[in-house]
Amino acid sequence: MDQVKYCNEVLARVEELMFQELSGMAYWKCEFVGVDFIRSFDIQGKTVPEIVQSCAKVMQEAGLVSDVAYRTSKDGVMLKLTVRGCMHHGKEAHVKNEGIAPYICPVANMVLDQIHQKLKYETSYLFKDATDPENNRCLLYMALYETGDKIGCVSDWLEDDPDAQWLKNQPSQILAAADRKKK
Amino acid sequence: MNGKEFLDVLTSRKSIRRYKTDPVPDEMIDMILEAARWAPTGENYQPWRFIVIRDQETRNKIGELSKQGSGSRMTSWYCLNELQKRFEGIEDPEKRAGVLEFMYSGRVSEFCKQAPVIFAVIGDLRVGSVDVPYDLCAAMENMILQAHAMGLGSCWVYGPVASTRDAIRFKEILDIPTGMGDYKVLSYLAVGWPLEQRKHPRPKLPLEDMVYWEKFGNKERI
Repeated sequence: MDQVKYCNEVLARVEELMFQELSGMAYWKCEFVGVDFIRSFDIQGKTVPEIVQSCAKVMQEAGLVSDVAYRTSKDGVMLKLTVRGCMHHGKEAHVKNEGIAPYICPVANMVLDQIHQKLKYETSYLFKDATDPENNRCLLYMALYETGDKIGCVSDWLEDDPDAQWLKNQPSQILAAADRKKK
Repeated sequence: MNGKEFLDVLTSRKSIRRYKTDPVPDEMIDMILEAARWAPTGENYQPWRFIVIRDQETRNKIGELSKQGSGSRMTSWYCLNELQKRFEGIEDPEKRAGVLEFMYSGRVSEFCKQAPVIFAVIGDLRVGSVDVPYDLCAAMENMILQAHAMGLGSCWVYGPVASTRDAIRFKEILDIPTGMGDYKVLSYLAVGWPLEQRKHPRPKLPLEDMVYWEKFGNKERI
């Protein structure tokens, strides 16, 4: 039995169900999916990079992902993860094929959870989960707020992002309705 | 009241986010709750529970949570240029920038600090049937319409409970049990005497854009 395939098929059905119930809001509700796994480890770190690296190491050793690269914006608000070889890619591809922008990413949830727990940052949920099945990777964008007054500090996250052009053509939950309306 | 008059109540309602400081009388609060009690509910389970909040300190806490929740989401939407696209219909750049700042700062959801009373609408998952979220929405709509019919303004606010983490914080503020199978928090309703002008609201899509006859897609009345 292909357990990963089975797991992803089950998850994709649950995501379909959640999307039917909550539409685009579903992805606001899923920030705890996957966190139990990472909480079972003693993740150490005093900075965002240290937490990300520590989480990535655990996930790699467990076989959840093959690689996690990260990038932060100058003001520290943006965290971008590029995840390769994730065991959930099959699930993301399935959901994307159904016309739903992927919205549940255990990898992002684990990292955000540990940044929140260990550094006491406020975090957004995963904002964008752009899946690229052909290249076996996902681009994940999320916001980190060291203090409350960082909320509302805006900048252009895509200014120097080499993936900006590709990202423009990826589905967006918050724009899906507007895009459909235009068509 | 005939059907046309009732429809006028429905069509003249808009969400009100600015309120006078005058308190809402107890008898009006009771009528809003009474309206909720008569909402449709699957198998008459009536899973709804309401917490009436007038205490300023509690409203401040909920207002902060709302602001933080909306702001943290919309900051990231803005930084990936998606919030701007949602508001590109506003032609005046200055006005558009102001609206965007209002959104990503989170101030858009903060106003319960000024509302004289707010109602937390929650559902008891232990007594409800399969319909809890829908029952709660029906109760909320009844409350909104009752408030409006009495000359009050209201706004259905989802900001502080949109994410799972914030929903737990909301429950903790109000001492609502946080067990996974205990209570669902739908959202809260802010109510007060409107400071904004009450008028017929934003334009709505025409019926022909949303109604089909007998089968999906068939716009011809048969």
